[in-house]
Amino acid sequence: MTGPVGVGIGWRPEIAGFVAELPGLRFVEVVAEALAATGPLPDGLADLRGRGVTVVPHGVRLSLGGAEPVDPARVAHLARVAALVDAPLVSEHIAFVRAGGLEAGHLLPLPRSREAVAAVVANVRRARAELPVPIALEPIAALFDWPDDELDEADFLTEILAATDASLLLDVANVHANARNRGGDPLALLDRLPLERVAYVHVAGGAEQGGYYHDTHTDPVPAEVLDLVRELCSRRRPPALLLERDGHYPPAAELRAELDALAAASGHPVIT
Amino acid sequence: MPILAAPGDTWGVPGPVFLRLYLLAAVALVVGVLVHRRRILRGTPAAAPGTVGLDPQQVAYLNGGEQLAVWTALSGLRQGGTVGVRPDRRLTAGGHPPAGLTPLDQAVHHAANRHLHTRELRADEWVRRALEQLRTGLEQRGLTLTPQAREAVRRGPLLIVLLIAVGVFRIFAGLSNDRPVGWLTLAVLALIGCCVVLARVPWRTRAAERELSELRRRHTYLAPTSAPAYATYGAAGAAMGVALFGTASLWAMDPGFAEQAEIQRQAIAASGNGYSSGSSGSSCGGGSSCGGGSSCGGGSSCGGGGGCGGGGCGG
Repeated sequence: MTGPVGVGIGWRPEIAGFVAELPGLRFVEVVAEALAATGPLPDGLADLRGRGVTVVPHGVRLSLGGAEPVDPARVAHLARVAALVDAPLVSEHIAFVRAGGLEAGHLLPLPRSREAVAAVVANVRRARAELPVPIALEPIAALFDWPDDELDEADFLTEILAATDASLLLDVANVHANARNRGGDPLALLDRLPLERVAYVHVAGGAEQGGYYHDTHTDPVPAEVLDLVRELCSRRRPPALLLERDGHYPPAAELRAELDALAAASGHPVIT
Repeated sequence: MPILAAPGDTWGVPGPVFLRLYLLAAVALVVGVLVHRRRILRGTPAAAPGTVGLDPQQVAYLNGGEQLAVWTALSGLRQGGTVGVRPDRRLTAGGHPPAGLTPLDQAVHHAANRHLHTRELRADEWVRRALEQLRTGLEQRGLTLTPQAREAVRRGPLLIVLLIAVGVFRIFAGLSNDRPVGWLTLAVLALIGCCVVLARVPWRTRAAERELSELRRRHTYLAPTSAPAYATYGAAGAAMGVALFGTASLWAMDPGFAEQAEIQRQAIAASGNGYSSGSSGSSCGGGSSCGGGSSCGGGSSCGGGGGCGGGGCGG
């Protein structure tokens, strides 16, 4: 079991045939909730495992940032999926997706308060107690700041990571989106984040719309995001970078070009 | 008391003797026919499955016959952006066909240029010729049966029909002679059953069956249940999807075109994909139903077991 290494891509059934034919691929990520805890794995994913490709389950429904404790059944599912794919680690978001019994259906940002830090830390500890592998936490993109923010983004993340011993899943497109939408210098944020804790990095496409940058995952990766990847790698190169694409899939040549651009920007080997 | 020919015996042969001979002949014949059939249906024992290197149209022909081959060519052209459909539901094509097309592609493209309706494609002379070429190629590779081979396979059931005729004859003779005919009737019915099963001659060989199932396994990601990103897989991927999983793939890929061009929706079953965003396995098998030679349960089932009991049988 090695941690994620090199350039990877989010495994989705829609592009399973494309992913299967990437000769240099060493790691993929799969949405944990989409897999059945009892197996079997989808054919394409099982084939990748057979090739020794690392598979990281990526949770989206745990609601680690919720005020209430994480749902043990959801943690158990994540744990079983991690065992099923023999994952070296799992990842989840620092966000909440439900509150007071209502499902938001989205990842919602937390206010950056001490209270929120405490809630996240408590939930991450609960989850870690049940998970067979370490967890990486991913901050999300938000279009707004809560009025009662006590901490800035870097302090907020640093405190959570320090208190939970989790690693960081840094989403470069989110860094770009947050800087673009809420103001702020993305490079200054990179300088202050604990980059030595980065397990891997998400890179995704997005689009400008109505004066805001939307982290759509259905558009090409913009040049600004690739520039940020270069800046990040010049500070400290993360062990792995993952291209997230969740829809509006382009022709294979375009996807390959995005993976190549990611390899070029990060200095990792080309996988196509 | 030994049974000897007696004046009352039909054709001068006692019932039990006739029945024994008849059963012997039936078993021998059915076994012989099965062996013969198995040998012919084996096809060319090609390289390991999956290494035969078939193009999507060949796969489609093997999987669903001529019509599926036509839909596959049309889907590839559509995904390549060279064929469209007009409001009057007739096809249309943009100028010259691109390079690297198969003869069937060219024929379908040509037909689209002449604004044929999709249901007229199969009868189009160019398309017919291209299909003929496709079929010949598959025959030469031992994947489909030549007309001669099919004829040879059909000879088996014909022989069984002859034996059935003898049996039926004997039954009527026996009845008019007032002899019991129960066991012989059972034997004849069993032979008729074998004959019905064996009269179905598959048009593809077992080598083709193996190749198809291997291709389906390798291309699970193209099954409509995987919601494939056809744009990513390109024209060749789209064509292979239709070839393996039926026109349901074309409907998934381009519902507007499929509906406007009045393409019949047909799903060829694929296994579930183990990913929860996809739906469950699909419905009916199109064109692929014909079972290989392995279906009939050997000669032993025909004609029952040990001789006859009691007072005479077999007419």
